[in-house]
Amino acid sequence: MKAILVACALLAGCATQAPKPAPAPNLRELVSSLGVGRSTKSDVRAALGEGTVVNFDSGYEVWVYRQPAVEKPPTPAAELVLLFEPSGILSKTRVR
Amino acid sequence: MRVLALALLVCCGGALAAEPDDAVVVSALRNPVKKSYKKMVDGAALFEQRRGALAPAAALRFKLIARKPDTSLKNVELKVEADSIAIPLKVAPDQTFTIERNRTALRENAEVTPNRKAGTMTWRADVRTPGLPPQTRRLGDLRLECEVGMKAGLISNYPQGFLGWLDGLIGQRPEYCHRAEPRYLFFAEHPVFSVTLVDGARREVLPVDMLYGGATRDPKWKQDKYCDCEALFDHAYFVPLGDASWPDDTRVEIEYMGPNS
Repeated sequence: MKAILVACALLAGCATQAPKPAPAPNLRELVSSLGVGRSTKSDVRAALGEGTVVNFDSGYEVWVYRQPAVEKPPTPAAELVLLFEPSGILSKTRVR
Repeated sequence: MRVLALALLVCCGGALAAEPDDAVVVSALRNPVKKSYKKMVDGAALFEQRRGALAPAAALRFKLIARKPDTSLKNVELKVEADSIAIPLKVAPDQTFTIERNRTALRENAEVTPNRKAGTMTWRADVRTPGLPPQTRRLGDLRLECEVGMKAGLISNYPQGFLGWLDGLIGQRPEYCHRAEPRYLFFAEHPVFSVTLVDGARREVLPVDMLYGGATRDPKWKQDKYCDCEALFDHAYFVPLGDASWPDDTRVEIEYMGPNS
């Protein structure tokens, strides 16, 4: 009986001590780490990884990052859009 | 001697060919753009029918838009042409023009023809309510642009099955514009970064998938040389025309990429 109690206690301990996954940083937090007029494509790639890239003949590029909706805690889907000037510097951002 | 005579003949022949009076001027363009005059008149008539409901203060013009990056529409000449008539149309510096009703042109099934080759340019209706702030369109104007554009047959015609998503558009009637999110492309004056719908306190930024012809969802967008947005991908956007929760007076605010803007 004692052994069973110990086993239960251990299991309960394991259950309570299991590390919770860290919540993914949301896109608004991520964009605050970027500097409009300062960050380069390399900076952004290092901070956010690879996004969906649309490049235009003008030299401008749009990078898109998406975050799917999450049930708990309820978080709607979001998208981060970054605009790079032909010089490669981040010029505009928006989060939707 | 014979060689000398032959040389003289060749030289004189060259001189004669260069003589302006004898020059043959070929004014007809091979494979020109053509649009049905009747359809454009029908589009203008639809504008008059629907204006009261969608855009009471607006005026209609048609607009020529370059489809290839190297196509210039400066000084473009445009005419209504049929067997017995050729009526020049006045094109404004912004490449817009109007269509007048002409019985002979209708009877002879005239065509509207610019002096540009097919595939180098495209057409749109241009419906504008005066007095809007800069970088702002009105949703009712865009709804009417779509209906008139579809009625007037302004969207270029492609082989069935050739274009994927655009096939759903081809052959459609103005009712196509009543869908929640029709893929009818609008072109801003400058490259677009963001489009926002504004109705009073309600504001909604359109998803990036509604910009650039949907390029952010289509990795092969660069190869899509058959879309009539080819030269203006960065100017192109869709709007949720058929979403009745947005009234006609909704402002469509456009933020451009550059400072010009």
